[in-house]
Amino acid sequence: MSSTATTSAPAPSARELLPQGEARTRLRRIRHLKDLTTRFLVSAAGYGVVISLALIFVFLFAEVMPLLRNASLAEPVSFPVPGGDSDTVFIASERYQEAAVRFAADGTVSFFDPRDGRALSQRVISFDGAEAVSFSSGEPRTGLVIYGLSDGRAVLAKHEYDVTFPGDQRLVTPKLSYPLGEPLTTIDDAGQPLEVITVQQGGTGIGIAAVTADGRLLLTRYASRRSFLTGETEFVRSSYELPPPPAAPTQILLDITMRNLLVGDAQGFLHYYDISDPAQARLRDSRRVLEGDLVSVTSMAYLLGTVSIIVGGSDGSVAQYFLVRDENNINRITRIREFRQHPAQITTIFPEFTRKGFVVGDAGGNLGLHYGTSASTLFIKNVSHQPINNVAVAPRNNSLMWTDGTGQIHYASLWNRHPESSITALWNRVWYEGRSQPEFVWQSSSATDEFEPKFSLVPLSVGTLKAAFYAMLFAMPLAIFGAIYTAYFMSPKMRGLVKPTIEVMEALPTVILGFLAGLWMAPFIESHLPAAFSIIILMPLFMLLAAGLWHNAPKALKFLVPPGWEAAMLIPVVLFTGWLCITLSPLIEIWFFGGSMRQWFTDVGITYDQRNALVVGIAMGFAVIPTIFSIAEDAVFNVPKHLTQGSLALGATPWQTVIGVVLLTASPGIFSAVMIGFGRAVGETMIVLMATGNSPVVNFNIFEGMRTLSANIAVEMPEAAVGSTHYRLLFLAGLVLFAFTFVLNTIAEVVRQRLRAKYSSL
Amino acid sequence: MNQANTPATPSVTAGIPNVDKRKQLNLRHEEISMEVRGLNLFYGKDQALKEITMDIPNKRVTAFIGPSGCGKSTLLRCFNRMNDLIDICRIEGEIRIDGEDIYHPSVDVPELRRKVGMVFQKPNPFPKSIYENIAYGLRLQGVKNRRKLDEVVENSLRRAALWDEVKDRLNDNAFGLSGGQQQRLVIARAIAIEPEVILLDEPCSALDPISTAKVEELIIDLKESYTIVIVTHNMQQAARVSDFTAYMYLGELIEYDDTAKLFTNPAKKATEDYITGRYG
Repeated sequence: MSSTATTSAPAPSARELLPQGEARTRLRRIRHLKDLTTRFLVSAAGYGVVISLALIFVFLFAEVMPLLRNASLAEPVSFPVPGGDSDTVFIASERYQEAAVRFAADGTVSFFDPRDGRALSQRVISFDGAEAVSFSSGEPRTGLVIYGLSDGRAVLAKHEYDVTFPGDQRLVTPKLSYPLGEPLTTIDDAGQPLEVITVQQGGTGIGIAAVTADGRLLLTRYASRRSFLTGETEFVRSSYELPPPPAAPTQILLDITMRNLLVGDAQGFLHYYDISDPAQARLRDSRRVLEGDLVSVTSMAYLLGTVSIIVGGSDGSVAQYFLVRDENNINRITRIREFRQHPAQITTIFPEFTRKGFVVGDAGGNLGLHYGTSASTLFIKNVSHQPINNVAVAPRNNSLMWTDGTGQIHYASLWNRHPESSITALWNRVWYEGRSQPEFVWQSSSATDEFEPKFSLVPLSVGTLKAAFYAMLFAMPLAIFGAIYTAYFMSPKMRGLVKPTIEVMEALPTVILGFLAGLWMAPFIESHLPAAFSIIILMPLFMLLAAGLWHNAPKALKFLVPPGWEAAMLIPVVLFTGWLCITLSPLIEIWFFGGSMRQWFTDVGITYDQRNALVVGIAMGFAVIPTIFSIAEDAVFNVPKHLTQGSLALGATPWQTVIGVVLLTASPGIFSAVMIGFGRAVGETMIVLMATGNSPVVNFNIFEGMRTLSANIAVEMPEAAVGSTHYRLLFLAGLVLFAFTFVLNTIAEVVRQRLRAKYSSL
Repeated sequence: MNQANTPATPSVTAGIPNVDKRKQLNLRHEEISMEVRGLNLFYGKDQALKEITMDIPNKRVTAFIGPSGCGKSTLLRCFNRMNDLIDICRIEGEIRIDGEDIYHPSVDVPELRRKVGMVFQKPNPFPKSIYENIAYGLRLQGVKNRRKLDEVVENSLRRAALWDEVKDRLNDNAFGLSGGQQQRLVIARAIAIEPEVILLDEPCSALDPISTAKVEELIIDLKESYTIVIVTHNMQQAARVSDFTAYMYLGELIEYDDTAKLFTNPAKKATEDYITGRYG
């Protein structure tokens, strides 16, 4: 009525108010400028997000890439062998590669600079008139070498390097020492030539094994004893004669524990002697390690730690063996894995100082670099036309040195940082040293130097999925049913109270949840196991019972509770059920489980860890419930009212409406809620870190713990050496985690879009 | 043409005190489908309907007209208790269908709503196939026999004059239909469960003129079998399809009469102002 008055009068004045001419142009220009600025800022922010995400990816990839890089050998430097024309029997270099040593068959020991061949010093070991007929070295890190002489004696020597810093300059001084005090020691009292010999130094002393020209197998042990008075080490010698091997030995090996002796023979057999009690030593096992009639073992070496044996054959084959206990608890020589075959007879094998790798030289002038754990052959490279006679890896695995038939020493630097990782080593079962079968193991570090790191990502991935699975098992029904009830049945007032409360739970620091779960809930559940189970069973039952009672309650009582507030009536029921179960728990244990359900589990053969998937499921469930609840509740609540009313108007009960229309329409939202919750559970760190026990096991047992990718990164990042394989593998674990969530979210989004296209009503 | 002025039969309204006779129709008892008696409806403290008393005739089209916010939709929703969904809504008085008070506590609301179908302003097919949309109401009643369902679906779609348009794509999503088709689908869905009354809440306000014409035709066809109550903003529509028209203003029933009479010779000034467009 009054509108007519306002519309007629001011029409001309409005026209006057509008800007004219130049003002209008200026206004347009300013508006255009504002548009441009806004557009620029918004797109800059958008691209910024994309770019920073991409940068994270680039960084992760950059850290992981070196794992994929293959080993490479630089161009070698060559120089004449120092110290005369006699055959070279052994070469090795020192840690800083400023000094190297060459042992010759005539006893000449020459130290030289491997980078240019400059001679540093030279010594000659006296054989006291005899001749060297055999030679061997202990583990490279011990620097121990031994000559077997023609008169039944042996020379035990050690090459060592003193590092001093005069005038702040590093000075490496090589020296030769004799661990037994004097060079010569008698091995065979009968004075027969020592055809084959080996030496090893272990915690208990030095062991020497030799085969004499007349076929006897001798073991001599020097047990070290430190004198109280002088502080000097004394050696107590004891010698034994072992049962002779069936065929003429070509190689023998002694391990650092002085328990196992292995003998390779010309017929391609490997024989294993148990020498833990040398007086009772027995031939325990024999096994053909090379196929083919005319194939013999031409070279044999222990890898670091003297557990794995690398056997090289005259056919160029290279294989790894170690002793595995069978069901009768007897060690058996077991073929573990093969490496790529060399084109010619294997002449020499040299193990790496700190890892399970080794370098192989063959008669065709090829060098092969292999790695045990990952079963990978990093390269086989032809470096000479002549057979390779000796080869050595530097202690830091960063250079190779070899001699061939040309009378020269060749030295080349090597890049071989991450041989431990390969697709097989990361994702397949690997047969690790000391294990009875191939397994998935993550065990990245240990106390000893000889330790074989076990980098299988399978236990971590399985652990991640296990934790997420149990968390979802707990959280999904609670969150989704809760969301449906809250969105659809609850009175608006109560909903206004409940929804924010649950959403605030999301802000609860997960470290607190983890702390409570690990330090309070885990022991509590362990001591109240029947309560945990009876709550799972009784809680829904009692709730239904209470609902049933309420449904049939007298009207007068019902009117006391406003509609939509019925859920509040369940609070005392929940509290009562919880109290009842906990109170009855000790009694149930006495009645049914002989006093302790925990013990009962052990008795029936179920492994039970205090920190287990049940605890994590509940604790992490609490962390993801708010996420799922919030999104699912929105989805249900946003189902258009005209759809639910349409259903109700057709005579549907509220429940029929929920099942038939609401859930169908809300399904894309509920689905994405679940997937986002799952993504959160996969990436969650603090709770799994504190409440899982962090044992990287591969199973889905609810009573055992797990280690997740994220917790593993958190636990091990501080102890991983920067740039090491371990360090890079942690980045790879991060990338895998990223891939997990990326794939999950992509699937979620694709499915959501499809559901939405199908069920969207807007 | 109609029974409004049959003097021989006793009027049902005769016994009701304080009733303005001009607001009442004189109907025989068997011609009455629904009776509204002294209905007051409150949203919280606001009264939205004031002392409504009226009879809705059986198998006729009754239209509610009036300006926005006059309470005509609210009154319509009282017939199938859709107002129950609004928490703050409180109702006094009674509505009887076949003599039974639908607000009596013993009434089974879903069963009431089966008997009193409703079609909303905006077409609201469910996110299901055309077939499943029609079958939904029957499935709620526990009908599982596929043959019977097929039969009812076809029958309902034929009665809603939609069969020829959709018979080849019964399993397509109902959202693929045009707005007018969707609205007829919703009407087919409502009649599939054999209601006695169909409430139409501005059923054509979201439709184009051609679709509107089709729906109007359908309404006229359907009154053979159902009591129809329609709320509309469109007075031409009320004039075209209805037998009786009620004019409401600010929650009160101002005038209720034979459509022809109400539009040609309204008894009240307010009604005349409204139907002639003098009202804002």
